[in-house]
Amino acid sequence: MIYFDNAATSFPKPKAVIEAMENYFFHMGGSTGRSGHKMAMEASELVFNTREHLAQLFNIKDSARIVFTKNVTESLNLAINGFLDEGDRVVTTSLEHNSVMRPLRYLEQDRKIKISVVQANQEGMVDPSAFEDILKKEKTKLVIVNHASNVTGALAPVRTISEIAHRYGSHILVDAAQTAGAYPIDVAADSIDMLAFTGHKALLGPQGTGGLYIKEGIKITPLMRGGTGSSSEKEIQPDFMPDMLESGTLNVIGLAGLDAALKYIIEQGVSKIRKEEMELTELFIEEAKKIKGVKLYGPVDIKNRVSVVSFNISGYTPSEIAYILDKDFDIACRPGLHCAPSAHKTIGTFPQGTVRFAFGCFNKAEEIKAGLEALAQISQRSR
Amino acid sequence: MPAEVVVIVFKSTHDVIKAKSELEKACIAHELIPTPKEISSECGMSLRIEKNVLNKVLEIFRAKGVRYRGDLL
Repeated sequence: MIYFDNAATSFPKPKAVIEAMENYFFHMGGSTGRSGHKMAMEASELVFNTREHLAQLFNIKDSARIVFTKNVTESLNLAINGFLDEGDRVVTTSLEHNSVMRPLRYLEQDRKIKISVVQANQEGMVDPSAFEDILKKEKTKLVIVNHASNVTGALAPVRTISEIAHRYGSHILVDAAQTAGAYPIDVAADSIDMLAFTGHKALLGPQGTGGLYIKEGIKITPLMRGGTGSSSEKEIQPDFMPDMLESGTLNVIGLAGLDAALKYIIEQGVSKIRKEEMELTELFIEEAKKIKGVKLYGPVDIKNRVSVVSFNISGYTPSEIAYILDKDFDIACRPGLHCAPSAHKTIGTFPQGTVRFAFGCFNKAEEIKAGLEALAQISQRSR
Repeated sequence: MPAEVVVIVFKSTHDVIKAKSELEKACIAHELIPTPKEISSECGMSLRIEKNVLNKVLEIFRAKGVRYRGDLL
């Protein structure tokens, strides 16, 4: 099987991830922050180390400002629900995933928040000046930006947008679902107030892991309240990080895997991973362009992309193409709307969607060539 | 006569583990103990150190940004 569905979840994982999870189950097994015995302390150290490695990767000064969640959807819900109050204004883009748009649309009804949407162009690129046009007119509490689109692969100029947001007294929440691990992120240099990420995509960890970084000084109301292992004599939620936003037993086995994945990424270097993934992406785009009937979407300039490519083949629906790729060529990919209807409206592929190839750091050039050959054969088949 | 000891308490498990890891790096003897019941603190685990290294330890905590309950020291 050739796996091109890394934007959904990455496969395979580094061997060290599986070994760390196995080691936790066989030899560790304690709960974090709940007891003082050696096994519990080992678990607490493991969780601490995972936070420290994330802090290292994203240049976060105090790792206690990172809270763990089960995925980026939970991270985004925590940030959006916990930060926005009645009547607040939000500016976001037409490229957002439903994990941003659905919580926002719910709060539009529930808390009467106001939502302004910056329209991306047909390549899927957003113009930072469009944010400024809204921010200078309307007092805005939060700007939410998809760092890289899961449909087009287009990167947003986060640093420029965060400068504009802060100039007008707003804050910025970055959805790093497709960039954490695949593209350098520096919360200090990029002036990011909140960073939502998942562990199971380009961070190469297991499913069920994710997190949210919250800059010092930003107050978030918890999504859930409960046991934290701290302040147990009180029936009110602690007010210190990370405990205030981490109720209930953590997914320690998942974090064991994530920590091993982070060590792997730090050792390899995000820049090296990006370079290799973009070489594969460029190879694919340059050759796919030449295949008659194939239409590619997203930015023309490879520098404005991550390794996610959407396309269609004339005469076929996306799901037909994905079905043939799976059945006849053993190639795994994802067709359809990718939970981002507005992104597809932006690039003109709504409601049918696209076929998405998302390359990962374990893909090889031969696999890209096999994918190209499959597309050439499909486009030549008479229907 | 045994050396005099000091117990440093913390708010969260994160803070106590960070303190422990910084003391390990600095090769300063310490022991993780259950927070004595006479002390009302948020975190169930505390660090016991010898009193003669207290100033050195607090200096490390300040330099490395380790939060501790200074009010209970």
